[in-house]
Formats: sequence, C-alpha cells, structure tokens
Amino acid sequence: MDIIRITLKGIFRDRVFQGIMALGVLFLFIPSAASLSMRQVTELSITLSLSLISFILLLLAVFLGATSLWKDMERRYMVSVISLPISRSSYLLGRFFGLALFLILTSTVLGVVAGVMIKLASGIYPSDRPIIWSWYVLAIVFATLKYILLIAVAMLLSTVSTSFFLPIFGTICVFLASGITQQVYEYVHSPISAQTVSPFLKTVSSLVYYILPNLAGFDLKVNAIYSIPPNPAGLVLTGAYFIVYTVALLGGSALLFNRREIG
Amino acid sequence: MFAIDIQGLSKSYKTKRHLTVNALKELTLSVEQGEVFGFLGPNGAGKSTTIKCLLGLIRPTSGTATIMGDSVTGDNYRRKVGYLPENPAFYDYLGAEEYLLFVGRIFKMQEELLARRTVDCLKLLELWDARKRPLRSYSKGMVQRLGLAQVLLHDPDVYILDEPMSGLDPIGRALVKDIILDLKRRGKCVFFSTHITDDVEKVCDRVAIINRGMLQVVDKVDNILQQGIEGYDVRTTAANGQVEELFIEKNALQSFIQQSINNQTSIERIEPRRKNIEAFFLDVVAQQ
Amino acid sequence: MRRLTFPVCLLVTGVLGYCILIGPFTSYMRNKPIEEKLGFVPSIKLIKPLSADQQELAGAALVMKVLMYYGGTLGKAQAGKIVSESIDLMGMSRMLHGAVKLDPYNMDAYYFAQGFLTWDAKQFKVANNLLEYGMQYRTWDWYLPFFAGFNYAYFLKDYSNAARYYQKAGLLSNNNLHIQLAGRYMQESGQTDLAISYLAAMEQNEKNAVLKEGYRIRLAAFREVRRIEQARDRFKELKGMMPRSLEQLIQSGLLSPVPVDPYGGRFYLESSGKVVSTSKFAFATQHK
Repeated sequence: MDIIRITLKGIFRDRVFQGIMALGVLFLFIPSAASLSMRQVTELSITLSLSLISFILLLLAVFLGATSLWKDMERRYMVSVISLPISRSSYLLGRFFGLALFLILTSTVLGVVAGVMIKLASGIYPSDRPIIWSWYVLAIVFATLKYILLIAVAMLLSTVSTSFFLPIFGTICVFLASGITQQVYEYVHSPISAQTVSPFLKTVSSLVYYILPNLAGFDLKVNAIYSIPPNPAGLVLTGAYFIVYTVALLGGSALLFNRREIG
Repeated sequence: MFAIDIQGLSKSYKTKRHLTVNALKELTLSVEQGEVFGFLGPNGAGKSTTIKCLLGLIRPTSGTATIMGDSVTGDNYRRKVGYLPENPAFYDYLGAEEYLLFVGRIFKMQEELLARRTVDCLKLLELWDARKRPLRSYSKGMVQRLGLAQVLLHDPDVYILDEPMSGLDPIGRALVKDIILDLKRRGKCVFFSTHITDDVEKVCDRVAIINRGMLQVVDKVDNILQQGIEGYDVRTTAANGQVEELFIEKNALQSFIQQSINNQTSIERIEPRRKNIEAFFLDVVAQQ
Repeated sequence: MRRLTFPVCLLVTGVLGYCILIGPFTSYMRNKPIEEKLGFVPSIKLIKPLSADQQELAGAALVMKVLMYYGGTLGKAQAGKIVSESIDLMGMSRMLHGAVKLDPYNMDAYYFAQGFLTWDAKQFKVANNLLEYGMQYRTWDWYLPFFAGFNYAYFLKDYSNAARYYQKAGLLSNNNLHIQLAGRYMQESGQTDLAISYLAAMEQNEKNAVLKEGYRIRLAAFREVRRIEQARDRFKELKGMMPRSLEQLIQSGLLSPVPVDPYGGRFYLESSGKVVSTSKFAFATQHK
C-alpha cells in the first residue's frame, strides 16, 4: 500500500523518529534511577521502562493519530490525493496502518533498548524474582495494541472534525476515561452504591462503559514487573477485543470520511 | 460516448445561519472526446464546485455526471482522469520524483513505464534539476508545474484542470498552452476552468461561460469570434503607389474587394476588427 | 452507493464482534484478580516529578483509585461472593502513603487510611505514623488527633498517649467531648462502648457512601457484641458464674433476638468470657 509507505516517509521526514530516539536517551538513566530503590532495582527498572515506553507511545498515538488527517486537510494535500484513483476507505486505512506500523516499530526499538537496560540493571542488582522476558514482551505488545486502538479513536474523531482540537483533546479524554471505566462500572453496579447512585446515573455510566474502549485490560505491567503469570484466556479475549473494537472504529471512520466533503 | 457528461448537476450548501447557498444550479454540459473545452466564469461562479463534483470530492445535491461513461460516484473512473486542483499542494516532504512515483503506483502503472514517464514529465515541465529536492523548497510555479506533471504522468484520456495557468510566469503559461495543444493533437479531452479569456481564445475548441452557478453560454470559440467581427481594417496600395488605410463594414467587404480589383488597387492586408472573447465574456456576465 | 459498502461492512463486523465479545470481556475484567486490578503504581519518587504542577490532582487520583477498588471488593463481599484474593491492604496503604506525599493536605487519604489500616490491616503503628505526618500539615483538623487518640486507646492500650491526643483533638475542636472520651472509657470494660461511640461519630460524619457503609457494618457488629456482653454480665449477676457458651445465653432468655454478625460469621464466647466472632469482623476471603 502506497499510502502506508507515504505515511511512514512523512513521519520519518518530519524527524519524529529522531525525536523519539532523543527521548530514548532517558533509557540510559534507567539503571541509575532504578538503583534509588533499595529492594527492587529490577522491578523499578522494568516499571520505568514500561512507563516510559507507554508514555512515548501515548504521545505518538495522540499527536500522529489526531494530526495526520487534519494536516492533509489543512494543507490541502487531501485534494490531490483523494482525487487519485483510490477509495477514501483505502486512503484512511493506509493512513491508519502506516501509523500503526510506526508505533510497532517504535515500541520494538524502544523495547529492545529498554530490555538491554533492564538486563544491565538486573545484572548489577540481581532480583529475587526471575525476569520472565516473554511477559515483558507481552506487556509491550499489549501496550502497543492499546495505543494502536487509540490511533483509531483519534482517526474517528478527525473524520468529523475540521480542526485538530477535537481529535487531540478527545483522544486524551478517551484515554483517561478508558483507564477507569472498568472501576466506575463495577462501582455503580456494586450493591453498596445502590442507595447512592441514581438509576439514571447507573444507566449512563453503563452506556459510557459499553461505548468507550476499555483499555484497562491491556495493562500487563504488573505481570511483567512482578513476574505474575497472565491469564492466557484473558489475553486472547483482550486481543479479540482489540480487533473488533478497532475494526468498528475504522468502519465508522471510513463511513464518516466517505460522507465528508473535501473542498 | 461523451468524455464528460453532466446532467442537471446542482449543489447547495447550508450556512451556519440555516441559509441555503446554491453554488450550482441545474448544470447540464457535455464535452466530446478529443475536445479542448474552456470553462469560463468569474470568481465564485461555480467552476471549482463543478470540478470537485466531477472528482467526487464533494457530493452533488442532485444530478449526475459521468466521465468516459462511468458514473462519478465510484472510484475507478478516476483512473482515466488527470486532475490538477486549483492551487495544488502536494506532500511537501517528498521530492518531485518521489511524488510522481507515488502517483504512478496509485495508478498501478508498470514500474518500467512509470520510470520512463517520470523522467519525461520532469524534463517536459523543467523540474528535472529540482527532482530530488523536497517540495517545501519549491516556488509556487514549480508546484503548479509538478501538478501538471502528475496529470500527464499516466497519459489519461480526460484532463480536468482547475485554473492551470495560475501562478505561472509567461514562460510557464506558454508551456502549458503548448502542452494543451499537444494533447489536442493526440485526441485527448481537456476540460479546464479559467477566468482568463486569453487562454481560451488560443487553445479551446468550445467554451462555456458560467455565472452565479448557472450556465450562460456554450459555443464554439470560432463561432463566438466570427459573430464578434464588426468590420475589417484594410490597407491598400493604389496603382499610383498611394497607400491607404480603411475601415470596411462587415457586410461591405465583398463589394470592397470587387471594387479594389476593378480599380487595380492591391489589397495588402485585411484584419478583422472584432470583439474578443474577453469582451464577449464581459457582455455575458453583465447581462445578468 | 457502492463505495460505502466496504466501510459499512467493516462497521457492522466490528460492532457485531464487539457485541459478542463485550459480555465475556466484561466478566473477565470483573473477575480479574484484585491484586492486578489495583495495579502497580510507580515509586512516588517518580510520580512526584512526573505529575509536575498537578501533584494535588495526582494525589487525589490515587486516593480515588484506592477508594474505587475498596468499594468494588466490599460490594462483592457483601453480595456474598468470595473474593478471589484477599484485599490488597498493603497495596492500598502504599498508594495512600504515596498520595499524601504528593499532597499532604489530602483529607480523604488520612480518613480512609485510618478506616482500614486499623480495623482491617491491624497496622496501628503505621496508621498513627501517617496521622502524625498529616497533623504537621492539617494543623486545624481535630479528626487526626482524634483518630490517633482512639488508636492508642482502643488498639494499643496506650492510655497516656491516647489522652494526649484526645486533649489535642478537644482543643482543636473546642469540644469537651473528646477530652471526656479520654477519661471515660479508659477501662478495659469500656472498650466496646468506646468503639461504638467512635464508629457512630465516624458514620455520622462520613459523606462518602463506600466508607459510610463500611462504618455502618462495623457499627452493627459492635452493637451486637455489646448486646451479647450485656447479656453475659446479666447472666453473671443472676447465676453468679460466666456463661459457658452463647447458646446457653440464648437459652436463658437473656439474649433475644439471636445476634447476627453482619460479616457473616458466628459469635462465640472465649473461655475468658470475651465475645468474638468466627468472621474476625472482616468479610471472608479465600487465600491462594
């Protein structure tokens, strides 16, 4: 797909990757930062690595996801591309997969760099829990999936908005909300809240729960940090959830984008 | 089969205050294959709206359009079209060569052909030396020429050009005219919008004038020019060597020539004095 | 329109898949082991710089997280479900300690920590240290010394320290009750009354539904304990000896209706005559 290639070229030419690598220098400080912790140097270094990777992926997902369509629209690149013999759906999917690919690339590179740093840290201060690398990788994989889903959210918002304001802030809000919907949902459905939460609020929050993505399931940091075995069936379920939710988002985006007038 | 066939195309917008703006009203227009067609109108007349409908960028409120027999609601007909947007903008992080390769791949051109056409088009539009530079360093005229290059690249049958001359210097304009004339020789259909009448006069077979969303006139350029003739400036040399410059009425030309022959006056030059397309255009627009 | 077919298919597939999947996914998320759900919070050393100028917000978010978690497990326990893992009290404590490091004025964190650190976690020293830390900041807040006083008196049996804190609470609140409290219930026999009056005060002032419910349950349990104690003392007065068992008390007609432990346990008398319950006044948990 040529749109994917163009998208990736665009990201690289805009020196986004160099920016990430500059941020990635932070990883070099992980072993020394982790040594601040008396008892769990390895755990802390895994935490720092995963959090830093998540943070970088979040920034990428929000900004690249929200600005890629907007930029094309704003700078009128869209007119020249959409008038080529390419359907709008494939343009949109090309954009999405380009960004997703870039996210995967970034998380792979950062994951490897961070892995080396963790290895170093654990070499200096051995941990009483063995590091299970496959879970570390799994945590990164699921974090990447999570942010790819977020890109789809940003794209959906871009297709209805004429500015970058809604996509960026909307995506951030969705991200924040998606981390807590599970807790809120359980809270309003617990018997304890029956007296205090009105049925209306309960319905609303259930509705919100079902509409917003639930990203809490993608967080496997704890498993990686403390070597707690993840639940395989749950992971499969989470993976399937990622696929259907993303497909629905992309379908919706493509539909809206097809209806959009590009002047 | 018409190259472009527009039937009853209308487009209205809703403004924020719930007013309806009719950008295009019931436009019906057909362009033959192999024809160079000028689409003339003042700013905001609906030229770009028409073209955007043809390219599927906006949806018409009502009416249909086909290009080479295919409805413009699909995606595939665009394979047969080369489109130059008004004030085009292309991914500015690419070089001209890269952009053409990208376009060619979307048109599913064979790699070998694509490589050859890319070189040809870049050279034709004098972008060869700048082909590696990112487009953000290009001047407006260079971007416009790249726009033309990407139109020519896949050698389509139908060319839709929105203000192809804008942003070009006189040399560039001459180049574009040459290109259009060359396309005409090769039997291609060129449909271009402009508000500069001079362009139309030199290259078009037919012209349509649109104003306030409504089609005013569709006619052959030759007819318009013919009708516009008011008379002739004639220079004669009499037998005694006396040079004279005269203005002869349109109807009187034949008899004047006869008379000159009888008087053994030689006619050195006859120039039609006429309203040009510009005057015609201004008349049409003013009538509304 | 055929160009819409693809997106519509995509959307329908996604939505259908989502509908099928959301049920199992929700139940998976609900039944996820609690330890995982409380999540891991990076070292406070890290959060502090990262939360930049929003430390209060970060602190409040941490407290909220713990509260939601606690509310969820409490709800499950009440609904009669066996919690798959014991409540991660230490995790909760860690987070609340983190929260007050971020925002030492966060009232909720102290109140909440006092609630579970003492009764549930039996970490009296930790609770008191936290309260003392809070007193350095919330210098106007009489609740903190009131809590500390109670902890010293009821749990640690350190009456001199208890009196000192009650004194402080009394001065801050301009309320003699607290000073009186210190004196009135210092005897071993008054323990249950002390707890009841403390819990009643807490329950009344609590705005948060989850915590209020927690207090209410505990208060109900202690009221039952007091009823049994009163019956036990009557029995001793009448018969001149301690009752051997709760059943004996019930049969003698002194204890009616039969006491019910809201935590789902069964009351019994220790050989010393102390009233205890098989629930240890906490909801049943299943240890892995």
